[in-house]
Amino acid sequence: MRSLPARLRRKTRAWARRRHGIDPDPVDLSSRRIYILPTGLGVAFALMLFAMFLGAMNYGNNLALGLAFVLGSLGLTAMHYCHRNLAAVRIASAASEPVFVGEEARFRIALENHAPLARHELTLGNDQGTSRPVRLDPGARAVLTVNVAAQRRGYLPLDHFDIATRHPFGLFRAWAYLHMDVKCVVYPRPAPRGLPPPPVETDTGGAQDSARGGDEDFAGLRSFHPGDSLRHVAWKAYARGQELQVKVYAGTAVTSHLFDWESLPGLDVEARLSQLCRWIEDAYAAGHAFGIKLPGVDLPADIGPAHRQRCLMSLALFGTQESQP
Amino acid sequence: MITVLDPAPRFTQQLSWVVAAFLLTLLPHVPDLRLWIVLLALIAIAVRLAIELRHWKLPPKIVRIGVAIAAMLGVLASYRTLNGIEAGTALLVLMGAMKLFETSNRRDLTVVIFVAYFLLFAGFLYNQSLLRLPWMLATAWLLTVTLMRTHQTAPMNMREALGLTGKMLLQSLPLAIALFLFFPRLPGQFWAVPGRETAATGIDDEMSPGDVSELSLSSAIAFRVRFENELPPPRQRYWRGPVLHDFDGRTWRRLQQFLPDQPVTTSGPTYRYTVTQEPSNRPWIFGLEAVTDWPRERARLLYDRQMLAMGRISSLSSFDLESQPEYRFEGPLPVSTRNAALRLGERNPRSKLLAQELYAQAGSPEAFVDAVLDKFREEEYFYTLEPPRLDADSVDDFLFNTKRGFCEHFASAFTMLARAGGIPARVVLGYQGGEFNPMGGYLIVRQSDAHAWSEIWIDGKGWVRVDPTAAVAPERVERGMEAALGDDEPVPGRLMKRFDTLAQLQLAWDALNTFWNNQIVEFGAGQQRSMLEWLGIEDADWEALGMAMVIAMATFFAALTGWLAWRYRPRQLDPLVQVYTQLCHRLEKKQLARAVHEGPDDYLKRVARARPDLNRQLEEIRSLYIDLRYGPSPLANQLSRLKFLVGRLKV
Repeated sequence: MRSLPARLRRKTRAWARRRHGIDPDPVDLSSRRIYILPTGLGVAFALMLFAMFLGAMNYGNNLALGLAFVLGSLGLTAMHYCHRNLAAVRIASAASEPVFVGEEARFRIALENHAPLARHELTLGNDQGTSRPVRLDPGARAVLTVNVAAQRRGYLPLDHFDIATRHPFGLFRAWAYLHMDVKCVVYPRPAPRGLPPPPVETDTGGAQDSARGGDEDFAGLRSFHPGDSLRHVAWKAYARGQELQVKVYAGTAVTSHLFDWESLPGLDVEARLSQLCRWIEDAYAAGHAFGIKLPGVDLPADIGPAHRQRCLMSLALFGTQESQP
Repeated sequence: MITVLDPAPRFTQQLSWVVAAFLLTLLPHVPDLRLWIVLLALIAIAVRLAIELRHWKLPPKIVRIGVAIAAMLGVLASYRTLNGIEAGTALLVLMGAMKLFETSNRRDLTVVIFVAYFLLFAGFLYNQSLLRLPWMLATAWLLTVTLMRTHQTAPMNMREALGLTGKMLLQSLPLAIALFLFFPRLPGQFWAVPGRETAATGIDDEMSPGDVSELSLSSAIAFRVRFENELPPPRQRYWRGPVLHDFDGRTWRRLQQFLPDQPVTTSGPTYRYTVTQEPSNRPWIFGLEAVTDWPRERARLLYDRQMLAMGRISSLSSFDLESQPEYRFEGPLPVSTRNAALRLGERNPRSKLLAQELYAQAGSPEAFVDAVLDKFREEEYFYTLEPPRLDADSVDDFLFNTKRGFCEHFASAFTMLARAGGIPARVVLGYQGGEFNPMGGYLIVRQSDAHAWSEIWIDGKGWVRVDPTAAVAPERVERGMEAALGDDEPVPGRLMKRFDTLAQLQLAWDALNTFWNNQIVEFGAGQQRSMLEWLGIEDADWEALGMAMVIAMATFFAALTGWLAWRYRPRQLDPLVQVYTQLCHRLEKKQLARAVHEGPDDYLKRVARARPDLNRQLEEIRSLYIDLRYGPSPLANQLSRLKFLVGRLKV
């Protein structure tokens, strides 16, 4: 059972969504959709003014009464400033970095001020929290983030967020509900390390032959690991009594994996995807080439961030309705 | 430019500002507060600042609560109450200072600012003078700036903050003024609160030798009088205050019993006037003798024609009165009154003998009065502001030894002699005279115009005023105290009067103050009615006033919304885009609209083909635009040339 304020918040949000629909991207905030209510401090301020007013009337003290009226009018003026501080702000989505399940998706939202006056203390927020307030000078642009917990792989919609301000005195809070069609990719959660990656194929093709490799390709020595080609062992150094080392040639040995869906029998879909994700991350970190094979997806071995993204993306979207763009 | 700053160092800055604003609001209260409260508040502030700067820990909650309770008990012990303005102000000051100890976030700072606003409000309850206004306004502004800066995460310099809040305050003023003018005023208090116990200078309800002369050293204003028509002549300007019957040989006091009323018939010219009294913390209203009409719901007249307000006059108050200077008490004198007006103590035996001698020689009350006044006039009696001290037989001492006195000495001696001679007599305290301010058209009566005179009962004439001072120093009554006293006497304001410009300035300042007092400080139901009548609203009731306020509010909302929308309207900031948009708009009107896919080059070329007559100008515009937009180093004069061409283009 949710608490009453939470339910109320959900109700108003649903109502706002029905009223305003999905917002275009970018959207200029029209003043019709900005809501404003006094904050707790605003209510306290009003009570203080009422006390002042009663006191002034009781003593028939005109200057005290004048002070109460000036402060009251100031509060109302502040209300207008608070509302206007938000009106006609342009809001646009910016690219958000993909995340893994279990992390927080950080939706990046850009705010632009096209008015000739500065905007103060703008915040973006959702149920998860509120961003640090930001000031926008005339013509300025600021990018804020809205965090959403990524709980499932695939496309994570931002769904809703609000832009709010308490400028100038914190007596009022003006806000607008926004529903933008913004998505963030969520990759599967990488499985814990443990299961070794499938056997490595070392593609030595062409220029990697040591016989033909000139001195310019020689990059140095490193200690021998089981599985290294005997052809690359630095026998001369070993003969001099040093430890067993292998010669490393720059840009030559490309270690290549093929991560195959079929190689993980007995696991369910998400576990398989998690394992593949782990392998991809490890191989990418190690600088190895890798390819993946999923039912209906076959990405041949390659390297580089774009390839990694493509692979992770196909994991993220595997089996969902959405196809990769 | 985007600035997001760590809030931590800003808190120290915000705290310092709040403390500064709090101190500024505290300052005008210092003279009215007990010393320990001011000291405690200052210590609290100093400790809090030290905690902030040295990064110490805030005191634990139990200590804070303990200190707060101790402070409250201290106020209770010191003022014997927590109710009323003075104790309330003391509590506010301590609350604000104690609140600082648990101030660790923005909310707490705001609470301190709210307390400071309340202190400002309390300041007006103490003092509504024009002189204090600039300070109060500056404080209100600074508090508002501090309130805003407290709610500002991004740094904002003082100038911008002052500008923004100043603008907001100015924009709030019209509505505040409208509310002030139209809000229905209630007569009187609806919740009785103990008034302030302060020692304001003024005439008291007892008189000892030296009292009036001491009061006369003050040039503070007692009251101002605005006459509807002409002023009464100086010798009729007797402003009646307390009437004293009891005498113990030295001090005259009010009678602690009520005597029968005595009817008065009046004649002669009628003066209608308004007396505006400065707060005196005493109930007397000083009306011109003899008052014939007064606001009966706010004042009452006693049997001896002293007029008292309902409650003490603790704030500036005006009374509309009517007087006729020729009056006559109708006889006969009731026995109780006669007894009270003849009572003599044991003291002053020599004076009693003297009176009996004089009366035996004179034979009638009138002749007796003349004999006593002749004695004052012809013997070596002096009128002085610095009379010597008198012993317990004060009248004997004065009449036979010192012979130097101020009006209270003469009034006291005369009244005592009259009683000893068998004539019912009493002392009247009040003011005599007043300075006319030609700039404001009203009379200023100061404490230095304080005076004492006698009233004696003569059968067939009633109570008759006898001013023995007039016998010694006739100028006192005609031209004021200054004229009646020698050059070496410390008459207040005498030096000022030597310099004409200064005196003029003083009068002008007083006129301004009077305007302020009458129009703003004392704005009430009456002024409101006449203002509405001036606006064309006759017989305004609450409904009409409410309507006026609603209209004012709606106008304010509409004006502010419109103004803000206009100020914040999105503007194209790039002048080049502005010119280009302007050009496109003008061409569009001539059916030469730009297609969505067309860039400036294609578009302007097409337009040039369509309008061969403008070919040359359009060509130049095109090349200028391309240079300015895409060229390596655009020049300012190119832009002005482009603006010029677009402006001149006759499509």
